[in-house]
Amino acid sequence: MAGFDFSNYNRNAALHAKGVPLPKATSTGTTIVGCIYDNGVVIAADTRATSGPIVADKNCEKLHYIAPKIWCAGAGTAADTEFTTALISSNVELHSLSTGRPPRVITCMTMLKQHLFRYQGHIGAYLVVAGVDPTGVGLFTVHAHGSTDKLPYVTMGSGSLAAMSVFESMWKPQLNRDEAVALCAEAIKAGIFNDLGSGSNVDVCVIQKDKPTELLRNYIKPNERGQKERNYRFPRGTTAYLNQKIISKEDMRKYVSVEEASGDPNLMEVDI
Amino acid sequence: MATLLNQPQSEAIGYSFTQTTSVPNKEHSFYPYTDNGGSTLGISGSDFAILAGDTRSVAGYNINSRYVPKVFKIGGDDETGEGAHIILSVVGFAADGQALKERLDAVVKMYKYQHGKSMSVGACAQRLSTILYQKRFFPYYVHAILAGLDEDGRGALYSYDPVGSYEREQCRAAGSAASLIMPFLDNQVNFKNQYIPGSGEGHALEPKKAEPLARKTVEQLVRDAFTSAVERHIEVGDGLQMLVVTSAGIEEIYYPLKKD
Amino acid sequence: MVGHGMTGMLGEDGIHVDMNHLKKGEVNLGTSIMAINFKDGVILGADSRTTTGAYIANRVTDKLTQVHDTIWCCRSGSAADTQAVADIVSYHLNMYSITNNEAPSTQVAAALFQELCYENKDMLSAGIIIAGYDPRHGGQVYSIPLGGSLHKQPYSIGGSGSTYIYGYCDANWKENMTEEEGIQFVRSSLQEAIKWDGSSGGVIRMVVLTAKGAQRHLYLPDTGYTGPGLTN
Repeated sequence: MAGFDFSNYNRNAALHAKGVPLPKATSTGTTIVGCIYDNGVVIAADTRATSGPIVADKNCEKLHYIAPKIWCAGAGTAADTEFTTALISSNVELHSLSTGRPPRVITCMTMLKQHLFRYQGHIGAYLVVAGVDPTGVGLFTVHAHGSTDKLPYVTMGSGSLAAMSVFESMWKPQLNRDEAVALCAEAIKAGIFNDLGSGSNVDVCVIQKDKPTELLRNYIKPNERGQKERNYRFPRGTTAYLNQKIISKEDMRKYVSVEEASGDPNLMEVDI
Repeated sequence: MATLLNQPQSEAIGYSFTQTTSVPNKEHSFYPYTDNGGSTLGISGSDFAILAGDTRSVAGYNINSRYVPKVFKIGGDDETGEGAHIILSVVGFAADGQALKERLDAVVKMYKYQHGKSMSVGACAQRLSTILYQKRFFPYYVHAILAGLDEDGRGALYSYDPVGSYEREQCRAAGSAASLIMPFLDNQVNFKNQYIPGSGEGHALEPKKAEPLARKTVEQLVRDAFTSAVERHIEVGDGLQMLVVTSAGIEEIYYPLKKD
Repeated sequence: MVGHGMTGMLGEDGIHVDMNHLKKGEVNLGTSIMAINFKDGVILGADSRTTTGAYIANRVTDKLTQVHDTIWCCRSGSAADTQAVADIVSYHLNMYSITNNEAPSTQVAAALFQELCYENKDMLSAGIIIAGYDPRHGGQVYSIPLGGSLHKQPYSIGGSGSTYIYGYCDANWKENMTEEEGIQFVRSSLQEAIKWDGSSGGVIRMVVLTAKGAQRHLYLPDTGYTGPGLTN
């Protein structure tokens, strides 16, 4: 298997020793949760991605596909959760093809923990793994260093304390589908409103036996953007320029295919 | 490169790790400051001045409170601030902000008792600078903005650094989202980077001239600045508090912001 | 691997390994664990608390891990490290029983654990107690502390909570206890450790290993660790 390229390691170590800070990775200072019920499992996540105190993405996706009935919620370094889940998803599919059996949640969890343990925590992926397989319902957390836990309800990320407070006060055994979805959404909302690293919307994924998996993208949107009070359209010619060159559509057609866009081409994104 | 390195420029980057001094051993000692986040902004008009600030107080990723005011009336006759004609906003370390406000409030009150007249905004601005510089080596960790009406009844706005350097300005944003709000203000209040369409060719193109804005326009700009800052800065939110000084007195306006 | 004066986890003298370190944000099993010999076999016991700093990441953790039919271990230290080590040992014991057509002895399991813990001492923070029952040797308890040494003991205690119960265990220990007495000894010892150690808590889990196989016990804090007892 191809691995990481360490050719810049010495250079970067030298720069770091001189006091140059490391480049800042987009971290999903996050709230993610999971909860099992009757005959299935629910996972949920907020949709804010941050870079330091700045919101990098207001509606990102933190629920990752592994297999049709195994999904993952990711917290930590955005790139690490993205690539780790993609890699394991690929390996899980190959494994399922070679065994001729549907993939199991515990297989996926074991592959994740062995991959993360090998990198000793340098891959900053904190995951909630959930799914159903022929053995039943599975719900696990996987920490970046490679440790795992198996619990009926789990939370991770910077908002995990706020979310866990909801579970610890409202969870009960034998929930049904709707109750589990509502409980997970409530836990995510606790993260969104009480943890600065979490925000925007609630994404939910419901995995159930004998039913197709439902990905409820933006299940709740409690933070819609307010209307601007003023109009910030500038009159044409507001920006200074020293010279101009006009390339007509006819000229461009010689090199590329040009299609007419629908709607008023003069409208900017802010006008829509 | 010098800005990246935080070190003398002459020292070239090498591969030797022998100098242990380049990575100093971090000493653990008491650090009396915390950043409580949030943002403030002030704009002055022809016959008014506005100071605004969000009301969220944070510590790390936690919210201390959703309502802690950052804008205060200075030198009022009672605890409600009735009779004041100067306002102050402070952002940064909330405890120092509170202490600074109390100091300045007491000073302005004493001035009135001793001289039998209200302190002018210009005098108050100078006094605030002195108060800040007195703590040059243990500063008030705040970015303060002072506002009122000057002797001619025009809006006056003064902004400060933590050790007392100050300047009268048309507008100023401070705090954690200052870098997001200030360019917006430059463009919308002082019309920076805006030119009059068709007024000339190339370098002859005329810049759009800044003129004092109407109070309604300014209030709209303030609200738009904050609703936008809330979208992109995690420490800004919960509520927007505005104080407007006019010849009629000080008016307070509260406007809810997103709570995520 | 990395030269350039980087010392890895070696201390200032360049000889001693800093064992008391956990990687930043690592999950820690600040723990109370023990295993004892009794008349018919061995009993393993553990609390159920897993922490990351001051936060309890799991309050019902199972720190008693099966590596073969009647060979189990108690894990303390880094959760990631001890799980990885136990998984590897479990794999090797499985292979052993298939290739030799015979269950491994407790000593074989303990030797495998030691090999991993000793050879990788600079990378691991793992304190493990191994206890097992095999027909030839009966019940046996082995302990592998931080450096990777191996000790066969009549009983063993480990984890941060164990420091509080050395005196208690020494005063109350008896050779050849009955199963009842053994369970009572483990239960009351762990109850004491949990009481004094902030990093230990939750429920008390136990596994009794005899000729009859493995039997699990669970004791809950809300009944003062008196019930419900047997769970399978």
